[in-house]
Amino acid sequence: MSIHTPSRWRVAALAALMAGALPSLALSASTATDKDKLIELQKKLDQSIHMIDALAGRVRELEARQAAVAAAPPVAATPAAAPATAEPAAAAADQRISAVEQKVSQIETANATRHSDDSGLPLHGFADVGVGNRNPYFPTYKGFYIDNLDFYLTPHLGEHTRALFELNNEVGADGSVGIDLERAQIGYQFSDRATVWIGRFHTPYGFVNTAVHHGAWINDALRRPAFLQFEDHGGILPAHTVGLWLTGSEHAAAGRLQYDGYVGNSQLIEGGVVDMRNAGNAHGKLIVGGRLGYQFEGGSLDGLTAGVHAFSASRIEDDLPIPNATRVTAYGGYLTYDSDQWEHNAEVYFFDDEDLSGTTGSHHSNAEYVQFGYRVSWGVPYVRFERTDLDQTDEYFLQQISGGSYQRAALGTRFDLDSRSSIKLELAETHLTDRSRERFAEEQFQYAIRF
Amino acid sequence: MNQSLKFLLLGTALALWAGVAAAGDVYVICNPDVTLQSADVRDVFIGEKGFAGSVHLAPADNSASQAAFLEKVLKLDAGKYTGLWTKKSFRDGSNPPPVKNSDAEAIAYVKQTSGGCSYVGSPPGGGVTVVGKF
Repeated sequence: MSIHTPSRWRVAALAALMAGALPSLALSASTATDKDKLIELQKKLDQSIHMIDALAGRVRELEARQAAVAAAPPVAATPAAAPATAEPAAAAADQRISAVEQKVSQIETANATRHSDDSGLPLHGFADVGVGNRNPYFPTYKGFYIDNLDFYLTPHLGEHTRALFELNNEVGADGSVGIDLERAQIGYQFSDRATVWIGRFHTPYGFVNTAVHHGAWINDALRRPAFLQFEDHGGILPAHTVGLWLTGSEHAAAGRLQYDGYVGNSQLIEGGVVDMRNAGNAHGKLIVGGRLGYQFEGGSLDGLTAGVHAFSASRIEDDLPIPNATRVTAYGGYLTYDSDQWEHNAEVYFFDDEDLSGTTGSHHSNAEYVQFGYRVSWGVPYVRFERTDLDQTDEYFLQQISGGSYQRAALGTRFDLDSRSSIKLELAETHLTDRSRERFAEEQFQYAIRF
Repeated sequence: MNQSLKFLLLGTALALWAGVAAAGDVYVICNPDVTLQSADVRDVFIGEKGFAGSVHLAPADNSASQAAFLEKVLKLDAGKYTGLWTKKSFRDGSNPPPVKNSDAEAIAYVKQTSGGCSYVGSPPGGGVTVVGKF
């Protein structure tokens, strides 16, 4: 290219030269970097080899010394001064190591079996106290209250035998403290599909009655819906049955099928409260019932359980001088949704009762509630609506102190103080709709623990 | 010697790297008398499966590996796991699994307990059945 070549061609040529040189320069730079790295790694490897050589040399030195000691002529020894040789010393060291290994193994085995000892009696419990402008169960009272000290025992009895006892110290409607054997059930587990219980158990209807027992801590809400309370706390259903209960579950399709079937002593209304007849009843009549549910597992419906329930108590009498007798038949359904974020429940009950001793014929009533809860890191805020529409000419409801109809709206929250204690707040508006037209507001506080 | 030593060092480095990569694994182990699918492990430890055929299952937790087990297998945190067993115990009389303090204790428990199952954080060796690796 002569100095007379046009300038744009000079620029183009210069650009081409630079374009050709740049990758070479980059490659050189990259190569130089890799080369540096390789040199560095080689240096480190050489250092390590050097160290290994030094260690090998030291081992050879020690072995030579040991050999020299072994080869030296034995010193004349007196019986009292026999010198220890390297081999007996090594053998003694091996023995000590073996002994230590054996002890460690024994300790591990002992620890492995220590917690398997099933001769103990697992005893746990719950307790709760509170304050409110009305007692949550006996609204004629106001102020501070003690509610439950509830113990439950689940003794280990073998591979198939099961037992559960719930002994509850509770305050009654008159303010006195009484002891109730709330649950006393002994069972036999045939398999995962079938367990049979005999004794006193929570009647398997709906969701709340078998999910939330007498320990308030278990319940995210401050209390059960009023119509589903226990018999002596304002409930209108036979929350306890003394009889036989068969229960189990089985995987089915995308979830689990759950079933319950039971038979027991037909109840009595005594002192205005349903009594479950712990010692039997005078006429031998029975309550028979069942529940069938499906719990979805996995998929978009994971956490949802839906079910139906029904029972019929063939003869429930009251304690009037000339007792009334009613055949009580109840049926309905329930839905629960339990996930990491939500906890919703809903139950509905329909009553088709028949007067067995009078001329009032058949009676129809219903009761329902729905509760929505939202799980947050500190607890569970919730809102609940309850409603009953109970036929007041039905002796079954008429003879119960709590047999009147009502509506209630409640807003509450649970705060978890730690894994074993929680406080709950609830604001509620209750409207009695037939026996009286009373309307009252409630502010409730509860402190509940488990142990 | 330099050449063979280089290979030895390289092999050691590779083995160490592989060990670090596998440190989070959970091995669910059972007594050899238990026949169990890995899909059943969750049900065993939440109390929904008490039998494998005619064998009564006796699961045990292992505090040394529990965090990884709860995360990888049960998909629960410790609080929810404890709450689950509190409710289950109160509702149907079941008792939560006993807790062992180390992989060695868990392995010893499984070996000597008919129906025993637990979990460890490293390959357990002989004498137990590995039901699943998570």
